[in-house]
Amino acid sequence: MTPQLRVGISELQVAQAPAELATFGLGSCLGIVLYDPGQKVGGLAHTLLPAPRQGREEARPSKFVSTAIGLMLEQLEELGAARERIWAKIIGGANMFESLHPSPEEGIGARNARCARELLAALGVPLLAEDVGGNYGRTVFFDLASGQVLVRSVRGGEKIITL
Amino acid sequence: MTFTHLTETQLDALKEISNIGMGHAATALSQMIGDTVHLRVPRITVSEIGAVPDLLGGPEKVVVGITLQVLGDARGNILLVFPRESVTLLLSRLVRKEFRESELDELSTSTLKEVGNILSSAYLSALGSLLHMTLIPSIPLLAFDMAGAVVDNILIELSEAGELALIVETDFWGDRPDQEPIKGHFLLLPDPHTLDVILEAVGGEG
Repeated sequence: MTPQLRVGISELQVAQAPAELATFGLGSCLGIVLYDPGQKVGGLAHTLLPAPRQGREEARPSKFVSTAIGLMLEQLEELGAARERIWAKIIGGANMFESLHPSPEEGIGARNARCARELLAALGVPLLAEDVGGNYGRTVFFDLASGQVLVRSVRGGEKIITL
Repeated sequence: MTFTHLTETQLDALKEISNIGMGHAATALSQMIGDTVHLRVPRITVSEIGAVPDLLGGPEKVVVGITLQVLGDARGNILLVFPRESVTLLLSRLVRKEFRESELDELSTSTLKEVGNILSSAYLSALGSLLHMTLIPSIPLLAFDMAGAVVDNILIELSEAGELALIVETDFWGDRPDQEPIKGHFLLLPDPHTLDVILEAVGGEG
């Protein structure tokens, strides 16, 4: 059986095929997948916020989009990944309570996704696919053998899509 | 004040005021459904933010979450979580409505929000008069989805201040022997500054 590694809130994990990485119940949190198809190594982060507050020492880089991406890239390279082959996919960033923000673009979910897109572009990491936004939760299964990402949602009946 | 430094006395004080507050809320719910509702305050947990979805039965458990902000002399969030089976029971008793378990229609949504509103108002008015504070709930917001996704908004807010959440948890249930009990969690998540204010008011100096 394929070993499944569970990534909790504000955690990240990197691993090698044939492992599968999974994170459950993303709402406005953002799941970030990085993968090197050559070495079949990849990482998954469950981030809460775009970036640490200015001038504040943060104990958990995996809590923030901005710090988790860099940390995952480093850990993937330690596992033998080649930087120029690594691509990304992002999942989550919803706005669960619709009237919480008058404009969904200002919600934390949308800001998380925007931060990831900008940083990946600046680092030259191609963003191959995304399933973000909306007002429903998502669970992510990332198969390190194929690089395939399955996203499960339950609102209005279970649905699974492949990224 | 940080959550980790709470003394036994302070935890007891928090538990006691929550018991009283929830007593009022349970009375309100009893009257609404025309049945006795029991409650207990089983736990006051200082928990890593990441562990909160597990306290609610796991991040993928499908729940109805109703969230309200606490406004006034203290700040924080209230979160009510009903498992799917309890939502069915609540709706059948309150509006005699069949619930197909995949989507909530408008009547069901507004009924459940109203339940959240009544429970929170009863709780906060009892808490407020004990602490000599004005505490007002904001309008309720509802989501019917995975527990992890339902709570992460509130956790994100808390996580800006630190890694821990103080959770006052209450369970309530009905007692008709011939019927399934209605179960729910009522979570009060005060922000760290508000915890200071509450502890000062109950006299539990650290």
